[in-house]
Amino acid sequence: MNSLAMSRRTLLAATAGTALAGRAFAADPLVAATFGGTWGEVQKQVLVPAFTKRTGASVNLAVMLATEQIAKLTAAKGGRPPFDVAILDEGPALDAISAGLIAKYDSAKSPAFNQLPSQFQSAYGPAVTMQAIGIAYNPKTVKVPPTSWDDLWKPEYKGRVGITSLASTLGLAFLLDINRLAGGTEADMSPGFAKLRTLLPNLAAVSANFGAHGALFQQGEIDIGVQNFNFAEELRAKGVPIAFVRPSTGTPAWKTSMHVVQGAVQPDLATSYIDTQITAEVQTRMEMAPWNVIPTNRDVKFEGLVASVIAQNAEELQKLVFFDWAQVNKSRATWTQQFNREIRV
Amino acid sequence: MASLRLAAPLGGFFALFFVVPLGLLLFTSTQAGRQIGGGFSLEQYAGFFSDTLNLSVLWNTLLVGAKATVLCLVAGYPLAWLTVRAPARLQSVLVFAIVLPIVTSVVVRTFAWIVILGRNGLVNTWILELGLSATPLRLLFSEAGVVIVLAQVQMPLMVLPLITSLQRIDPNLGSASAALGAGAWRTFFKVTLPLSVPGIVAGTILTYAACVTAFVTQSLIGGSRLLYMPMMIYQQALDLQNWPFAAAISVIFMVSVLLVIASLVAVSRTRAAQAAA
Repeated sequence: MNSLAMSRRTLLAATAGTALAGRAFAADPLVAATFGGTWGEVQKQVLVPAFTKRTGASVNLAVMLATEQIAKLTAAKGGRPPFDVAILDEGPALDAISAGLIAKYDSAKSPAFNQLPSQFQSAYGPAVTMQAIGIAYNPKTVKVPPTSWDDLWKPEYKGRVGITSLASTLGLAFLLDINRLAGGTEADMSPGFAKLRTLLPNLAAVSANFGAHGALFQQGEIDIGVQNFNFAEELRAKGVPIAFVRPSTGTPAWKTSMHVVQGAVQPDLATSYIDTQITAEVQTRMEMAPWNVIPTNRDVKFEGLVASVIAQNAEELQKLVFFDWAQVNKSRATWTQQFNREIRV
Repeated sequence: MASLRLAAPLGGFFALFFVVPLGLLLFTSTQAGRQIGGGFSLEQYAGFFSDTLNLSVLWNTLLVGAKATVLCLVAGYPLAWLTVRAPARLQSVLVFAIVLPIVTSVVVRTFAWIVILGRNGLVNTWILELGLSATPLRLLFSEAGVVIVLAQVQMPLMVLPLITSLQRIDPNLGSASAALGAGAWRTFFKVTLPLSVPGIVAGTILTYAACVTAFVTQSLIGGSRLLYMPMMIYQQALDLQNWPFAAAISVIFMVSVLLVIASLVAVSRTRAAQAAA
């Protein structure tokens, strides 16, 4: 009896010990955050095998929105972060850096870092791609291909247009761009909101997040709307009736970057994982259909849809429309509240 | 003493994983500014109540929950009644069918509803073919859609307590009522319904609490133009990283739902007391 109790206690202690030790072992896999959709797939199929071949280490991919990554890192601040590598759009990245959640990037341990043009380098980690947005439409129901955002306001698309809320960078960049075209700036969003209010009769759906937005084209809920270049092309490759065009007024775009998180369990593996992502070899493969990931490594030739739709070369990327995300972050809370108030049923 | 010790593990579990987080939530909600550590302040609460948008979101959430719960009750009661009356073999089939939704993820069920309620969905195809409407109805991204889906998704929470309470009613009471000359409807309203009130109250509380907090269903079926409290909490906590305000609206929401439930219980108690007297 006594020995049984003892062994039970030992077992308990051992179990608790294992749980506490958690990911402390040297053989722990790298845990890397990734976005859902295109990014989760392309990183699983291209980056992870390349990284494992290079280092022999394994990777656990954790699918999370940028905001979820920041929330989890904030909650774990000072302790053991739940993942080693973060992937963030420009706005959230600036937030995470200023909140002290991101470690400095050790570029000495990242040979591919020097192959990036300076605008894709940062002390906190490299930009791994650019995301560009434009107009997606259903070619079966929209006979005249749209050319600019203004087409979304056409009366024939009453109740057929889809956008996302400001929770997604997609919706935020759309609002920033119509604001820019209406004469506003990042410091003055009122022209953009005034313009957006006039879109209300045409709106069929305002998705609460990017994931829900993607399904709308597939189910024929909307005929035309704002969409991310990569995602639209991926849907098209899957046979969904969808076509993507750049607005004639310029293509809004932003950087997506990868970072080693502060206090990462595997900082060296994390650096080498990010380095693998920015090698010419991996980016060349990611640029192929159906992924069409815009490369940031200067040694990668612009080919396929990236070349024909977005830019012929790295210089042309500079002509896309960019926003001041530091300024955007200051007002995002106010805009979200205003969006809640004005874009209602 | 022994029973107290038996309850200790669960009590400890609750203390650790329910009471402590709840205390943390309360603490966070009384912090000034956008970060924990801003010092004690009630500004988050003041901020919530000073904006009519927030109040209308709270009201809409409580209301949509009430509508879905009523629909659940109206549709679920006959189902529960039928299940109790059914022959044994059919009864087990019915109970299985009622429980089945619980074993499927709520996300999957909600996406299935998107397919059913969509413009090209099942419901709209029928409506168009039957000539009830010339154009597809807007069911998705509307409050009606949210109510319908909430009612289906949460139905088991209503029906199971109803079945339990209907089963407890002595069938002889119905026979006695009939023998005394009451018709089927009169027997139902005078005997069955009053005796099933405990089931109705239990089912209503469970369903209501589940409906108002159903983040997935509300946001997927309602979209961003129908804003409810869970989405608002998510926005503040995740999109905007404003934890003190998110905590404050969580507390306000929790208290509001508790008040609704408490008044429901109070009303049913007075009713029960009146019936007894």
